[in-house]
Amino acid sequence: MRDLMGVIYTSKNDLTLRELTASRAIAALPVAGRYRVIDFILSNLVNTGVRNVGVIMQKNYHSLMDHLGSGKEWDLHTRNNGLFILPPFLTRENVGTYGGILDALRSNMGYLRRSKQEYVILTGGKSVFNTRFDELFQQHLDSGADITLMYVKAKPEPLVGTESPASQKVYIGVDENHLVTDLEVSPVVPSYTNQYTDVMVLKKSLLIHLVDQAYAHSMHDLNRDLLQQYIRNGVLRVNGYEYKGYYRQIESVLSYFRFNMDLLDYNIRRELFMSNPVYTKVRDEVPAIYEEGAQASNSLVADGCIIEGSVENSVLFRGVRVGRGAKIKNCILMQDTDVRENVELENVITDKVVTFHPNGRLIGQPQYPIVIAKNTTL
Amino acid sequence: MRKKQCIAMLLAGGQGSRLGILTKVMAKPAVPFGGKYRIIDFPLSNCSNSGIDVVGVLTQYQPLELNSYIGSGQPWDLDLSNGGVFVLPPYVKGKIGEWYRGTANAIYQNISFIEQFNPDYVLVLSGDHIYKMNYNDMLQKHIKNKADVTIAVRPVPWSEASRFGIMETDENDVIVDFEEKPKNPKSNKASMGVYVFTWSVLKSYLEGDEANKESQNDFGKNIIPNMLGDGRKLIAFGFEDYWKDVGTIESLWEANMDLLQSPPAFDLYDPKWRIYARNPIMPPHYVGKGAIVEDSMVTEGCEVNGDVRHSVLFAGVRIDRGATVEDSVIMPGAVIMAGAVVRRAIVGENAVISAGCTVGTDQGDIALVGQDTVLPKGYTVQPGAQIDMDALAAEEEGASK
Repeated sequence: MRDLMGVIYTSKNDLTLRELTASRAIAALPVAGRYRVIDFILSNLVNTGVRNVGVIMQKNYHSLMDHLGSGKEWDLHTRNNGLFILPPFLTRENVGTYGGILDALRSNMGYLRRSKQEYVILTGGKSVFNTRFDELFQQHLDSGADITLMYVKAKPEPLVGTESPASQKVYIGVDENHLVTDLEVSPVVPSYTNQYTDVMVLKKSLLIHLVDQAYAHSMHDLNRDLLQQYIRNGVLRVNGYEYKGYYRQIESVLSYFRFNMDLLDYNIRRELFMSNPVYTKVRDEVPAIYEEGAQASNSLVADGCIIEGSVENSVLFRGVRVGRGAKIKNCILMQDTDVRENVELENVITDKVVTFHPNGRLIGQPQYPIVIAKNTTL
Repeated sequence: MRKKQCIAMLLAGGQGSRLGILTKVMAKPAVPFGGKYRIIDFPLSNCSNSGIDVVGVLTQYQPLELNSYIGSGQPWDLDLSNGGVFVLPPYVKGKIGEWYRGTANAIYQNISFIEQFNPDYVLVLSGDHIYKMNYNDMLQKHIKNKADVTIAVRPVPWSEASRFGIMETDENDVIVDFEEKPKNPKSNKASMGVYVFTWSVLKSYLEGDEANKESQNDFGKNIIPNMLGDGRKLIAFGFEDYWKDVGTIESLWEANMDLLQSPPAFDLYDPKWRIYARNPIMPPHYVGKGAIVEDSMVTEGCEVNGDVRHSVLFAGVRIDRGATVEDSVIMPGAVIMAGAVVRRAIVGENAVISAGCTVGTDQGDIALVGQDTVLPKGYTVQPGAQIDMDALAAEEEGASK
């Protein structure tokens, strides 16, 4: 039990993931065979001892609500505190959608005020990593900073023409005393290597004050409008905390693809799943079945799969079927994808319930995986 | 508590001594089965799917693992404000306190629990069998026939009939004769140990049975014969689907292997009749480069880098490169190290089969390695042998003398 609450905001328009986010937020995107992106940050909060978590939802929040339910999988279905789902709502002041995170927080001021905790971890819903925020919180308390931002050293990754290089990443300048000196939103060529992880800790009273100020000055974007200004003019003391573990932000098809493929590495898998438990909604599937003649190599396979063909360097979600003679290579096949006999797939990402009729062949490029939308039959 | 038409009482107190070292520290219903289940998941899921939402689980022998597994009953949708799952160990009443002396006595000692729900009918189940059954169909037959007790029966091979309680029925499924383990069976309809009783009738028989000091307080030996003798209405409910008593090492192994047949002898995939289980909270399993996994069942948290054929791997099992596992059941968290060969075996929870060990052979009886047992390098477990930490310690002592 900590004097700490969590607020997760999920993004509004995630067009960068093509068909994958056509009808869901990135936070609701299925990853790693049986999880959704939000499971990681939510489990991190719960494993830190946070007992009160609000999830701000924007458009297309149906799949997210369905996934989170009462929060029982995260032990957040409690009488006091627990999970609060905060979708946009219409009132005299609200118009039904949030212009930015600050508007969202303003709409849910009542929830913030009613919560009993003194500190808040405010976080986005696009990051995948596994940690407890103990060290971050302790540094925040010890340093006396107003706000502490968590960042990672950005690893240079090969750029690919089809993806915008900067996307929506935020970079911060941090001096030797952990003081944040600058903040850049979506730079094409960032001046700093410190990538902000969308995780900040601050006092709840300060957050309420900032939201109020933002409204008064008609600011909507937390990073671009508010933080940047307060960091530049030194009104607030903003510190940085470096996170050294495995971290990835899902903000493009390629980062989605790479994250899933990262999990084929034993050390990453161990860090991401064995250091602290990652909770998710349970589907009560039968264990995976490998039939006679099945071949599998370097792959992550969830329960409910039935494999008769061959699978290599791939991630198979719950209930995927691979027919006899089918060849799956470098693929990510989401829940209930049905690959019939003799189908050949390479560098393909399928959304849920995609069916391939026998004898098809679909080969993508590692730099540009083919994405097949939900409920498609080929 | 609000009135319920029917509640279930699940007898989970038996030791299951024929499962040898597997039930040394846990009750038989807690024994893992089928990759991610435990035996008790089957009756509990059947209850949940049949719409029976009060289940009393009577525990007595080594209940800790079972208690924590059942928890609030959430995996089976039995965490309810009006009903749910209740763990019922024996307790002291007034000055008297005693263990459950038999199946009937266990229910007798919980009459006040049952009366809280004022039920019309009580379903009595045992926690030893793997099957999917709609108890509501059975209840409806019981009500329609205005029976005093309805007993689920299934045909068994004539050669095995003398191991069971055997029923003889007329053309209306009325039971006309019942014999517990008869030498010369007159029928091959065996009791499955699943009963629906009209509660008022059962209660009077439990009280009568309790007054008889000679009685063994057992349903099969006392209550049912008494009811038959008094001319009560006993009805048989025929059941022909998959049903397996997993009371022995051999049958437990066999039932696991049944899941690997194609199509499986026992279908776990029915979307209308899911079998629920407590989730281990682990990632999907990983199959490494060069691994062979064929004709097998593998579940979450496994890391497979060796060769696995015709086997069932439970959650979090590790098969290292160079290890061979065939025709075996590897229970949660067990580790099979490089060069180890495991054939026709059951390896208990969190056991470690060190490098170069041989467990079982491709023929002969099932070899068994107990829970938390760490086999020393190069150790051999013969077919039919049972090895656990105590056995290893005893061997070491013997060797040092």
